[in-house]
Amino acid sequence: MNSGVFPSIWRFFGLVAVQVLLLKQIGLSIDSAYFNVLLYPLFILLLPLQLSPNFMVLLGFAVGMAVDIFYASPGVHASAGAFSGFARSYIVGAFAPKGGYTSKEPVFTPAYVTWQTFIQGSAVFFFFHLFWFFSVDAFTFVFFNSIILKTMVSWGLTMVFVLLYAAMFNPKN
Amino acid sequence: MGRLFQLLLRNGGFVTLVFVELFCFVLMVQYNSTQSVIWANTTEIFGGKVLERRQTVSDYFGLREQVDSLNQIVDSLQSRLSNARLVQVSVQDTFYQVNYDSLTLNDSIRRKTIRPLYEFVSAKVVGNSITSVNNWLIINRGSNDHVAPHMAVISPNGVVGVVRHVSENFSIAMSVLHRQTRITASLPKQNTFGSLMWEGGNPHVMTLKDISKHFQEQIHPGDPVLTSGYSTMFPKGISVGTIITKPEPDPENPHFLVVKVQLSQDMSNVDAVSIVRNLFSGELDSLKSQIKQ
Repeated sequence: MNSGVFPSIWRFFGLVAVQVLLLKQIGLSIDSAYFNVLLYPLFILLLPLQLSPNFMVLLGFAVGMAVDIFYASPGVHASAGAFSGFARSYIVGAFAPKGGYTSKEPVFTPAYVTWQTFIQGSAVFFFFHLFWFFSVDAFTFVFFNSIILKTMVSWGLTMVFVLLYAAMFNPKN
Repeated sequence: MGRLFQLLLRNGGFVTLVFVELFCFVLMVQYNSTQSVIWANTTEIFGGKVLERRQTVSDYFGLREQVDSLNQIVDSLQSRLSNARLVQVSVQDTFYQVNYDSLTLNDSIRRKTIRPLYEFVSAKVVGNSITSVNNWLIINRGSNDHVAPHMAVISPNGVVGVVRHVSENFSIAMSVLHRQTRITASLPKQNTFGSLMWEGGNPHVMTLKDISKHFQEQIHPGDPVLTSGYSTMFPKGISVGTIITKPEPDPENPHFLVVKVQLSQDMSNVDAVSIVRNLFSGELDSLKSQIKQ
């Protein structure tokens, strides 16, 4: 379990950096309300599976807050991050192998679960994260259709980057 | 403190999530313009606008009661006004203050000249005609409401008609626009009176006949015409209209003058009316019947 700490720390900074230096700039240059790629929740998804839900919530809040600082939107990403941290154990648990996760599967990556399971699990995870994010971003369900549309568009774009990340780094811990 | 941590740990992060989300919520509404505006509007809506709308709705549902109470006020003022014109304080040798509201029908002899004479029943016109030679109004008050034939019908603007037929809940009133209409109308400026009738045609104009000839120079267009109070039906001083023509000798009877009167109540637009009940009409009628015998 200790072996998962340092990769997570690197992922934290790496993904926040990619988010605010690369993806945010792409979003600004395209300048569309519907172009949003949120890769940083991958940090939450790839946290060690044995981690306590309390830490999950707090770490989700932390990575969201870190992104919020650069997006000048205090609380919005943090709220979605904390929610995703809470929701991850349930989503990942739904895709658990028979008998649940053991020390043989330290993280939820294609290296330990199959690609199919990873794609399914991450798809559900990112959908919930994005839906929560766009809901608190709009802050009202008056624009529910707009929220759903943004979520769907952003979901498709984000999943491309998630799979690219998983294929490139194929994280083992 | 340790127990609190145990509680947090045991609840699988949910309590932590609630606290973190609350904190995020505060951050959002404090430091984000969109969220703070929405939050402010929401609190305003729930704090003020909902109350305001509820007030508007309850006001709307209260309108009927308000109209009813206003009608009652109009009736009571109308009756006080009409009755007040009859007040004569017969006791002159002492300082005698009349408290009108204390007056009753069975007053003592000392006060018998200051009794109320009229009662008013508010009503709605539910049927009306103005195009016939003889026009009628249907009114939503009947014998259940103590309406009886020969009661006057007036509106806040002036005279409307006279009740002729009564059912339990409705009554039919002869409009002033009727060939049989004869209302004794007074010219308060000249302190004289005439007989008001309708000759058909224009529903806004009636004819005032039987004015003494020596008032020819004193009557001018624009002078008011009021009810005289000489009949048992119409109280004194109810508006009839204004004179619109110069007085001319009546071709049928050259000793009297005739003028045209523009009605103050537009008979094509009559809605809220009051039916006037003369509390002594029976007594007065039986007295009048003595003359005919």
